[in-house]
Amino acid sequence: MIVYTKSWQDLFAEVIETALCTLCGACSGFCPYLTYYRGRIAVLDNCTRTNEAQCYQYCPRTYIDLDTLSRAIFLSPYSAEPLGHAKAVVMARSADTKVRAGAQYGGVVTTILSFALQKRLVDAVLLVRTLWDKTPQPFVARTTDDVMQCMGSNYMACPLLHGYNQFSKEHISGDCRLAIVATPCQVLSVAKMKSRPPQNKLNIANVKLVIGLFCTWALIPDRFSSFLRKAVNLADVIKFDVPPPPANRFDIYTKSGRISLPLEQIREFTMPACAYCTDMTSEFADISVGAAEGIEGWNTVVIRSEAGDELWQRLTTEKKVEVGELPSSNLEHLQAAAMLKKKRAITELTRKSGDQGNLLYLGLSPELLGKWVA
Amino acid sequence: MPTITTDAPGTNQLLIGNEAIARGALEAGIGFAAAYPGTPSSEIIGTLAQVAKDMGIYVEWSVNEIVALEAAAGASFAGIRALAAMKQNGVNVACDFLANLVMSGIGRAGLVLVVCDDPSAISSSNEQDTRYVAKWLDIPLVEPGDFQEAKEMTKWLFDLSEELGTICLLRSVTRIAHARGNVKLGELPKITRKAYFDQIQDIRNPMPTKYIPVPSPVRHFFQHARLNRAREKFESAPFNRYVGPPSPDLLIVTCGSCWLYSLDAVRALQLEDRVGILKLGTLWPLPEKVLEENLARARKILFVEEIDPFIEQSVMEFVAGAPFLDRLPVFYGKRSGHVNAYGELNPDMVIKAISNILELTYQPRPLEYTSEAESFRKSHVPERSMTFCPGCPHRATFWAIKNALKLDGRGGFVTGDIGCYSMAIGPAGFLQVRTMHCMGAGVGIANGLGKLDQFGFEQPVLAVVGDSTFYHAAIPALINGIYNRSNFVLVILDNSATAMTGFQPHPGTGMTAMGESTNVVSMEALCQALGARVQVCDPFDLKSATATLLEMMAEDGGPKVVIMRRECELVRSKKEAAPYKVYVDQEKCIGECCGCDRLCTRVFLCPGLIWDRKSGKAKIDDVICAGCGVCADICPRGAIIKEAR
Repeated sequence: MIVYTKSWQDLFAEVIETALCTLCGACSGFCPYLTYYRGRIAVLDNCTRTNEAQCYQYCPRTYIDLDTLSRAIFLSPYSAEPLGHAKAVVMARSADTKVRAGAQYGGVVTTILSFALQKRLVDAVLLVRTLWDKTPQPFVARTTDDVMQCMGSNYMACPLLHGYNQFSKEHISGDCRLAIVATPCQVLSVAKMKSRPPQNKLNIANVKLVIGLFCTWALIPDRFSSFLRKAVNLADVIKFDVPPPPANRFDIYTKSGRISLPLEQIREFTMPACAYCTDMTSEFADISVGAAEGIEGWNTVVIRSEAGDELWQRLTTEKKVEVGELPSSNLEHLQAAAMLKKKRAITELTRKSGDQGNLLYLGLSPELLGKWVA
Repeated sequence: MPTITTDAPGTNQLLIGNEAIARGALEAGIGFAAAYPGTPSSEIIGTLAQVAKDMGIYVEWSVNEIVALEAAAGASFAGIRALAAMKQNGVNVACDFLANLVMSGIGRAGLVLVVCDDPSAISSSNEQDTRYVAKWLDIPLVEPGDFQEAKEMTKWLFDLSEELGTICLLRSVTRIAHARGNVKLGELPKITRKAYFDQIQDIRNPMPTKYIPVPSPVRHFFQHARLNRAREKFESAPFNRYVGPPSPDLLIVTCGSCWLYSLDAVRALQLEDRVGILKLGTLWPLPEKVLEENLARARKILFVEEIDPFIEQSVMEFVAGAPFLDRLPVFYGKRSGHVNAYGELNPDMVIKAISNILELTYQPRPLEYTSEAESFRKSHVPERSMTFCPGCPHRATFWAIKNALKLDGRGGFVTGDIGCYSMAIGPAGFLQVRTMHCMGAGVGIANGLGKLDQFGFEQPVLAVVGDSTFYHAAIPALINGIYNRSNFVLVILDNSATAMTGFQPHPGTGMTAMGESTNVVSMEALCQALGARVQVCDPFDLKSATATLLEMMAEDGGPKVVIMRRECELVRSKKEAAPYKVYVDQEKCIGECCGCDRLCTRVFLCPGLIWDRKSGKAKIDDVICAGCGVCADICPRGAIIKEAR
């Protein structure tokens, strides 16, 4: 992994001011200088460090070499497969009906986390909690009840790793083991940390489990929240959903029924940075989870790492999850969607750099790139 | 017992200029004194307040200078000798009344306005020269050249004021006001005063007594007549004198502290037989006969005065209008460039001017002395910028303001004025204050900025004022903002004292100048009554102070008021011990590493924090630390520990 002699100013020049920032929070909340506030990274004072600034180092939109990361995380070269490194892709749902009732889809994430906490595989879980104004906030769950509070997809960008950085400072010398539920960009930052452990943060080896979420784009948190406030009574909102194409809707489930907005209306709130993302399925997670499109109440689950596999085996053996075979049409559709996201991102990155061979933050050999754009 | 009440005529006391003025006022039998504090004038009223009860006089800290002068005039109208004191900026505040008072005339009893100017603006925002006010508004003006004169002139001026029926002005400067010298005491009068407003002044013309400035042209004419009578008095006053040979090569015309500099310069150059000094004590109207007699002594005349060329211009004007000299002398001074027309002067500068004119070479010490002294100083005295005291609530307030503005992200900024918090123009307050003018100006400026939305202005504006400044100068501006719906946040830095000038009480403190408890004028009740939304914060609670500021900034619809309330540390520490023991956990401190980069000693900059170069960690200087514990809340690693004592 490359170590940079770069500063926060470089982070701003290369990422934040060029609309590459995903608001993942990796640069925020660790030092006293950069902090997330209402949809932006605010600079509170000038940091004079120009060497190995970790805000720059662990940003998922500063240089990453996918092959190097893959070798560090999976001990194998980067495959450039549409879904990334995968041991298995299955369809699953929680065996617990109570979990299923409150879940976005099949409740698999909640079930994995509850299991990991109950079996003391981890001591805490970093995930996203939705606030009263429906904006997301990093949250550290320590019990199943805590996890249950965080069920459901938020769809707005969350500075999750701000939460990691803050948690990190509090547990610097402890042996607290952590699970993280993250979107692809956040997973990428965690992967960067795994490949080169950060300084003065929680030992990255203590991050025992990374659950990656499928993600096509995220919404700009505060702008979308303000919009939402005008559209609905926030207190009545139960969940959000984007049903699979060709629905072309953004659904808001409220106590008094479903409100559907045309997806076009929502698109103006999407993070510009999401256009430059090649990863739909959180390729560097231990386990990735998303919807099983068209099959209500089920998740698609991608088992990736050894650790992820081992955990999944236990979950199935102990009958915490019900597993089924993902219909091949679903798999093909998922692969096609993942590949489409890659192609679009490559086009956008090339357009942004103005140079065919320049993918800005993304390091990918011509051979691998060829697999995508062929 | 304070020395200014020593009842031993003929004995010497070592007094600062301001105490000498206070003693002069007592010897003149004043019954009333009022002022708003302002360096270098504050000790006049401060000293009188301490002895007020013993001396049977009334002394107050007024809410501002114009009220101080009006109150003093009230006493004069009722036959009580009264004194008002202020610094140069204060005269601007009082000027509107002053201009009218000159026209109306004073009451039966003398009224003296003492103004302490601050050449080089050592404790001020500007270095304006108040002497021009005397010329502008037709007021008799004197300026003491030493401490004895400071006392004598004050006493003498009361008699003059009473005799002429006009207010008189005594101008002093920092080096007279704050320097100390021997003063031979005079008699303290034993008088009983009866205050009453004389309804009819003249039994033959039984019209009700009125103090009014109209008809102005008539009164203006009579004021000029009074000035002429003042001039006659000045011609024989003991405060103008000449020292030197009868016909010197060079005549220095000087006044005030420059008189002492001139004496030193002539002595240092050993030119007592070639250079004469005319020291003027009565400056306006000019003592023309004194000048006529002395200007003829020399062909070369050098004016030495601080700050503006007041005497220089007045004398040149006089000479031009009354050609009593057979040949015009050559004038040297600020116009010719021999003396600076800005800043304080000193004997060296006068030596330089004399040497220049007389074409002498004078080298008091080797050329390299200055650079050697400078490097010696640097090796012993660390470079320090102006800063807030350890434990000062303002540091915390500006930390919260800085963070709130950065988080808000709309490019908001702070308009300010003068007070301890002016230091926020520099690193002590994180460079937050962007405008600084007279007291309360930040609020007025915010009024304008807050009405620019139609021109696309979207930046939040925070106007900061001190508590004393709030009462002094911010209330009309706040009312204006409420009336005109201007968008800004007024942040009142309420440290319960007029801290910069020496902790004088004010209308919010519940204490008078004479040490009596009194009504508290509640700033929050006042602001609420005016219709503003008001929040009171403890600046040491950085989180809630920041959140409150953010919330107030996000709101539209007229001024909001945030009161940052915490007592001045210098006042608090006199009453109780430090609340916390503070230390740095050396294990937790990560110093210059990524994740801190010395936030406490590089950005927060409390003098109680020190950077240990050897260990690369922060430490607390136990001698300086006030134990406020705020640094524990800003440390990103929780390495600064505060333990309740």
